[in-house]
Amino acid sequence: MHKKDLGLLVLVLVIGAITTALNPVFLSPVNLVNMANLIGLFGIFSIGQGLVIITGGIELSVGSMFALIGVIFVDLLVNFALPWPIVVLVAIGLGLVFGAVHGFLVTRLHLQPFVVTLCGLLIYRGIARWYMADATIGFGYGDFDTLFWLASGRSFGIPHTFIAFVIVAIVMYVVLHKSVFGRHLLAVGKNEEAARFSGINTRVVIASAYMINGALAGLTALFLAFYTSSVSPSAHGSFYELYAIAAAVLGGCSLRGGEGSIPGIVLGTILLQILQNLVNLLGIPTSLNFAVMGTVILAGVLADQALQRRRAIKVAEQQRAKVVAAA
Amino acid sequence: MPAPFLELLDITKTYPGVTALSGVSFAIGAGEVVGLIGENGAGKSTLMKILGGVVEPTRGTIRVDGNERPAFTVTESMQAGIAFVHQELNLFENLDVAANIFIGREPRSGGFLNLVDQAETRRRVAPLLQRLGVDFGPDTPVAELAIAERQMVEIAKALSLNARLIIMDEPTSSLTLSETDRLLSVIAELKAQGVAIVYISHRLNEVKQCADRVVCLRDGKLVGTLAKDEIEHPAMIRLMIGRDLKSVYIPPKHAPKESGLTLEGLRTTAFPDFAVDLTLRRGEILGLAGLIGSGRTSLARAIFGIDPPLAGTVALDGQPITVANPQDAIARGIYLAPEDRKRSGLILEFPIRENISLADLKEYAPSWLIRRDKELATAERQKVRLGIRTPSVETPAISLSGGNQQKVVLAKWLSMRPQVIIFDEPTRGIDVGAKAEIYQLMRELAEAGVAILMISSDMEEVIGVSDRVAVMHEGSIAGFLERSQLSEHAIMELAIGHRPAA
Amino acid sequence: MKRRGIVALCAAALMLSIGAGAASAQEKKTIALVTNASADFWTIARRGTEKAQEELPNYNVEFYVVAESTAAEQRRILDDLLTKGVAGVSISSIDPANSTEILNRVADQAVLFTTDSDAPESKRIAYIGTDNRQAGVQAGELIKKALPDGGKIMMFVGTMGAANAIERVDGIKQALEGSNVEIIDIRTDEVDFARAKRNVEDTLTKYPDISGLVGLYSYNTPQIVEAVRAAGKIGQVKVIGFDEDPVTLRGIADGIVDATVVQQPYEFGYQSMIGLAKVIEGDKSFIPEDGLIIVPTKVIDSSNVEEFQSQMRELLAN
Repeated sequence: MHKKDLGLLVLVLVIGAITTALNPVFLSPVNLVNMANLIGLFGIFSIGQGLVIITGGIELSVGSMFALIGVIFVDLLVNFALPWPIVVLVAIGLGLVFGAVHGFLVTRLHLQPFVVTLCGLLIYRGIARWYMADATIGFGYGDFDTLFWLASGRSFGIPHTFIAFVIVAIVMYVVLHKSVFGRHLLAVGKNEEAARFSGINTRVVIASAYMINGALAGLTALFLAFYTSSVSPSAHGSFYELYAIAAAVLGGCSLRGGEGSIPGIVLGTILLQILQNLVNLLGIPTSLNFAVMGTVILAGVLADQALQRRRAIKVAEQQRAKVVAAA
Repeated sequence: MPAPFLELLDITKTYPGVTALSGVSFAIGAGEVVGLIGENGAGKSTLMKILGGVVEPTRGTIRVDGNERPAFTVTESMQAGIAFVHQELNLFENLDVAANIFIGREPRSGGFLNLVDQAETRRRVAPLLQRLGVDFGPDTPVAELAIAERQMVEIAKALSLNARLIIMDEPTSSLTLSETDRLLSVIAELKAQGVAIVYISHRLNEVKQCADRVVCLRDGKLVGTLAKDEIEHPAMIRLMIGRDLKSVYIPPKHAPKESGLTLEGLRTTAFPDFAVDLTLRRGEILGLAGLIGSGRTSLARAIFGIDPPLAGTVALDGQPITVANPQDAIARGIYLAPEDRKRSGLILEFPIRENISLADLKEYAPSWLIRRDKELATAERQKVRLGIRTPSVETPAISLSGGNQQKVVLAKWLSMRPQVIIFDEPTRGIDVGAKAEIYQLMRELAEAGVAILMISSDMEEVIGVSDRVAVMHEGSIAGFLERSQLSEHAIMELAIGHRPAA
Repeated sequence: MKRRGIVALCAAALMLSIGAGAASAQEKKTIALVTNASADFWTIARRGTEKAQEELPNYNVEFYVVAESTAAEQRRILDDLLTKGVAGVSISSIDPANSTEILNRVADQAVLFTTDSDAPESKRIAYIGTDNRQAGVQAGELIKKALPDGGKIMMFVGTMGAANAIERVDGIKQALEGSNVEIIDIRTDEVDFARAKRNVEDTLTKYPDISGLVGLYSYNTPQIVEAVRAAGKIGQVKVIGFDEDPVTLRGIADGIVDATVVQQPYEFGYQSMIGLAKVIEGDKSFIPEDGLIIVPTKVIDSSNVEEFQSQMRELLAN
């Protein structure tokens, strides 16, 4: 584990401890299970967002993807009565396609990621609302026991969203930190030109990050639809991309690209969810929710900056000492 | 006799654990050109930072016109008339010449509207440009200027500040021979006008041409001063490295093979109307000379697949090959050590180990996952082979000196299977010792059957290292010179488009 | 429920790309209803406006659903309607206290009704809707009935800015006065369903001994139903809701929800459009002195839920 991640872990533990001290219910099994569920929901797409941010890009359309994929998913399931495995594949496939389109626009047509995904945000949201004529769609009276159990059930008391999140996190950890693709991703994010001069197909690498993010967004759309049991196309998932960006930034991803780790993003997500939980548990007015979140993110980023500067100075001194010793 | 313009007495600067400068004293008078030489890390940049007021000396005295300046700040430095022309130019490409010269202190008009007085700016810039004898005007966008011209803008900016001392840090590292000559004549001009110059350069020829006096730093100490009539190559080199440098040219042991890389009718995106024909043989070092912008780097990028050629054929050992992107080139063993190491050659924040393995990661990942032990083994082997001076291969490339960074770039390619290596300005900004090591390495590679193309603007390097030289002029090869024909004169003739006398 | 199929999606994409679009009849006067959120509640109201459209062939009846539940979004829609020269508007104002200016601008140019959520400060001609305070009192009585020995309850709502939320809360407080029922707090969710659900989950965690949950907005009760079901607290916690979301109704059938107070959005939509047309044609006689046309609320509990469900299915089926 990176030192940066360790600092975040300490922050998570400290805030957890404070919350527990103020309200011991925080550590009750019920609360932990509820939180695990939400961490799973928000964590899966935060990891995807993190990968995109590592390329130096950004993905703003995630929330709108949830709405569009969500309404299509529920519609196919409820009104078209298609078999659920097909519908699940369609939903994840749709996310993959959206990601591929974004990747294409960014790498081939050289549009800025912010612009591409901002347009995605507007377009997907608009289509979702138009598709449903703004009505909320629910699962109604259909019988989706298997899928319902898969998406919102528990095994051994652990919510399936959380299990899915753990699996995604482990897989992406290996991909980012151990595989050739991951190394290429970090290299491209840090210095695209040098990566190209080293024979890395930078376009494929960047587009892949958007596609992975899209697929993870598609997966999350399923879980989220089952969590809320209905999808209101105008509000569903609105602003959720910002939770993902916040988690990634808290977790040490630099918006300039090239930096970030999966443990960091996981911890970032956990911290964000703890914050939301503590607002409710400590009886802080719900309207202050966003203010609490913003303040903690700002504090976290500032603290990280300060620590990093101190560490940089220390490292420089050590290195200078070593060089002098070697000379 | 009046006090000299600037005096440094016993300047010492220590950082925790390191002494960057110790007891350096020297003075410079009006209209004097002082050559400052020394290997990288000798303390030149620290000294310059002290003169600029950026860094405060730990001990020592600075006097301007005989008056002591106890706290020499950036503002004081500017007021004293000290100006810098840096190696990396600090210009705004999106603005024109006049705006750059007056950036931050624009003449105002329009009262509270605070408009920039364009007419006044231009009126004040024009004579400065005239003084430097340049052929662009105040309205020319900087983006349209060549590097040498941009340097003139920097000098004009210094003059506009009534500079009494201009410190030039490696001013010719990106200049061609004629541009360098021009700069040297501008320096002579400034000197005649009473401006003092500190000229920092690794190019001893230039130092010899322009300096009235040479001071040399080594390991933070001033190790010697050469008077005008003592300034000779061997003397300067001896001062810098404390020993005599052997002749750089290493003759090949074997004659080059006939096979190698053949380019026929190659057209690059930079010069679509001109075709390049070139044969590069295994076992030789072919120097590629020419003026900046003559198409040498475009040719390198075309061969390496960064900007794939528009037309023509490329053949390796007689087999025609297609290079549509760097992946294709690398698969054939054609490698490029790019001109701008920091931007294109390295991922500076990555450790040495990861930089070395980057182009060949699949070799380190037999089962999809990268084997760190294999990476480490390769990195350690290359570190020893190339003599990369670093405490550990886990050190980020950013903390290495220029020479060691270049060695990491080379280690990346040497750890693979090189057939052809293109070196674009291989020793720019690298100190004398490391230069010799890189030349030695190029020779070893050639002896091992690698074909080497060395692009260089450093005439000493082109003549000192190449077995054969190709000279480019406006996108095509103006001519080839065998080793026996090599001279600055012959190369220049071709570079400026004159056919050599038969 | 009106739903556009995937085929239609593709067809529309094609149409958009060709740039074709049916031009609406210019000479017909436009009357419109502007909602404050998107929910089945408004889908039912929409059925009412569609019924009215059938009876008003000379009018162009339009229905606007806000993208976000913000006053700014409503203002944008109203500005657009004014630009288009709308003849009559019925609106459920999100922030009535601070929207007087824009509402009065509408009233100056067109006939203005409010529905569902009133804006008494504005120059609206009539309010068609629930007396939310009365509905609140009704809900309060249901709470007292469900908790004869008293207890602690929590309320859930989108935002506390809207008048209907404020009045429902007032009505509930009024009814609960003097009883043993204590209101712990009101949790808001900014109309984010996931947050609405998390609010319920966290409440159940923080107050394991809580005895009642009240969902003030139509989507709040379904989220309560899901959370109570997941927490395995069916029967231990009494749930009183508002409105007629299918999940709420199923919750009544399943015994999770005790009762829900339903409005008659169908009537809101229908009466709004018919009333606007009448006023435009000069007939104001149907409007009472105080301008309040109250559509009474109904209580749905286990006794009448089945009948109501089939009624709803009919309305929502396309």
